[in-house]
Amino acid sequence: MTNMRNLILGAVFLVLLIAVPPLLDLAWQNALVNILIASLFALAFNLLIGQAGLLSFGHAAYFGIGAFAALHLMIAVENGLPFPTPLLPLAGAAAGLTVGLIAGYFATMRSGVYFALVTLAIAELFHSLAPRLEGMFGGEAGIASMRMPWASFTFGSMLSVYYLVLAWVVICGLGLWAYTRTPFGRLTLALRDNEQRVRFLGYNAHASKVIVFAISAMVTGIAGSLLAISNETANYSLFASAVSSQVVLQTFVGGATVFLGPVLGAAAFALFSFLVSDLTRSWVLYQGLIFVLVMLYAPSGIGGVVEHHIRNRKNLDWSRLAGPYLLALAGGLLIAAGVVFLTESASILFGEEYAMARQGANGGLPAYELFGLIWKPLSFVTWTVPAALLAGGGVVLMRARREIGAIWDSKGHGARPAAKSASMGGAA
Amino acid sequence: MNASTTEQAALRLAGVTKSFGPIEVLKGVNLDIRRGERHAVIGPNGAGKSTLFNLISGMFSPSAGEIALNGRSIAGLSPHLINRAGLSRSFQITNIFHRLSVFENLRIGILARHGMRYGLFRPIARMRQVNDETTEVLARVGLEARAHDLAGDLTYSEQRALEIGMTLTTGAEIILLDEPTAGMSREETAQAVDLIRTVTEGKTLLMVEHDMSVVFSLCDRVSVLVYGSILATDTPTGISANRAVQEAYLGEEAA
Repeated sequence: MTNMRNLILGAVFLVLLIAVPPLLDLAWQNALVNILIASLFALAFNLLIGQAGLLSFGHAAYFGIGAFAALHLMIAVENGLPFPTPLLPLAGAAAGLTVGLIAGYFATMRSGVYFALVTLAIAELFHSLAPRLEGMFGGEAGIASMRMPWASFTFGSMLSVYYLVLAWVVICGLGLWAYTRTPFGRLTLALRDNEQRVRFLGYNAHASKVIVFAISAMVTGIAGSLLAISNETANYSLFASAVSSQVVLQTFVGGATVFLGPVLGAAAFALFSFLVSDLTRSWVLYQGLIFVLVMLYAPSGIGGVVEHHIRNRKNLDWSRLAGPYLLALAGGLLIAAGVVFLTESASILFGEEYAMARQGANGGLPAYELFGLIWKPLSFVTWTVPAALLAGGGVVLMRARREIGAIWDSKGHGARPAAKSASMGGAA
Repeated sequence: MNASTTEQAALRLAGVTKSFGPIEVLKGVNLDIRRGERHAVIGPNGAGKSTLFNLISGMFSPSAGEIALNGRSIAGLSPHLINRAGLSRSFQITNIFHRLSVFENLRIGILARHGMRYGLFRPIARMRQVNDETTEVLARVGLEARAHDLAGDLTYSEQRALEIGMTLTTGAEIILLDEPTAGMSREETAQAVDLIRTVTEGKTLLMVEHDMSVVFSLCDRVSVLVYGSILATDTPTGISANRAVQEAYLGEEAA
């Protein structure tokens, strides 16, 4: 029954992913391509942390390798190599797998912090070498190519790129899901739980970890190559530690313990940066706040909270929960409004433009504009507004949290993810 | 070397020494475990029993000496190779996969027995033979009702039973059990003894055990390890009559 329902849900979702994009404008199509690529990257990364219990801080290496491999193949195709454009990601897969086997051999000799540090070092190695290797990575400018037509497909439009990316992401996602159902997939979980016992049951734990690492790097390479196909260019900044840390944040916010959790996190972050990055320069700060709040109040991530609710859906009195949940959402939005007001005010008041305005006002503190209104920095009102938002939101949120906790406890459940999801609303 | 006894021994230790820095924990241990026997190693705390097990199972390499499994040297091999050669061990401190189900805990070892260590191309749910054998081991250790619970949620004695079950799954002929009844009540101990007796039928058993009643009811022979060397090896009755053993070890308890 459950399987049948999941299958139908998945099919409906896939139909939406196919049918809706033609109705969207170019910017949204491009955003969806980026969301899909980020999702696949996060799924591949989560094979390590979620299933094998290995936290890599250097997955940018395999993402970048995949992108450059695909671009080199694209350049070869431009120069006449007969290779079908839809299969370009195979270059990323091969490169990711090869580099993953070598890097994984060394990284997985250790676990925990040492593993994380070795992966970080390997990615930094690529980041510092790439600008110097003109032939392979094109120096600081990077390399570029064009998607060549194949059969009757020209791959000229963003929409055709979207479908190519969608096909690869769905196939790889299904592959990673199937992986969890194989003997080696089950062994991966055992490695996470207790590597020593795995060894004493006759398994070569190191070799097993190298294979898991290489598979993760291979799929990461595919994700990187999809980005290269979409952008038609890549440079050494793909190896930056920001790329490595972004996938860590996305995976943990989405929930590493749930298979589709990383997809939720990747989609949320990619969407957030698409929608907010044009509005404010502080969007990275907001991302960081979201991450901290999720780690503090919902360590199992969005996916974990969703899963917890699905698992208990039959024991919960949804009509009683709806009110407190809405209240929590309202409280979260109030706090978010307060935080945004303060952050944006600070970024204006300490910004260069304001410093120039002060010079014009002979060192005084001129009024500034925010959300279409004029605020005076020394006015009582200016600081009462955010204070009231924060305090009011806090009171509302605490009350909602108590009520939600009481309802969950009355069902005999110790965990209270409701309060956690409320806190997440606080940052969004 | 004495040819006739070498042939008989399932496991033979000759002059096995282990030092940690300046401390010599084992000082030339000689021990023959015969095929099909149940053999206990007893000794006071700190005598080196756990170190002995760790050397045999490959967790550490011996500083000197020879360890032979069915006549083949295994000293210094890595644990997974020793396991594949037919020797499987349990742990004194429960050492299971806490976040996997009981069934999965056992299935990992069954897969290893069938050499499906890197199976990536067939769903595990369709592996009839593997799943049947897992169910069989599950029944032997009496955990059928708990098959789909997380191993971390089991009671202590259930976890000990699972620990023994996991040790059996790889199909080894020689089983090492490290204090299998430690921390159990009298009733639980009696059950564990019955369990160990049935599951080691037709296999060779070497166990570390503190509970003398367990040793006396289960084992064919006993070796006494004191200060890193074997003081005596005999039948349980022979050991309890041995004056040196009484002085060094049993005497302490009697007094």
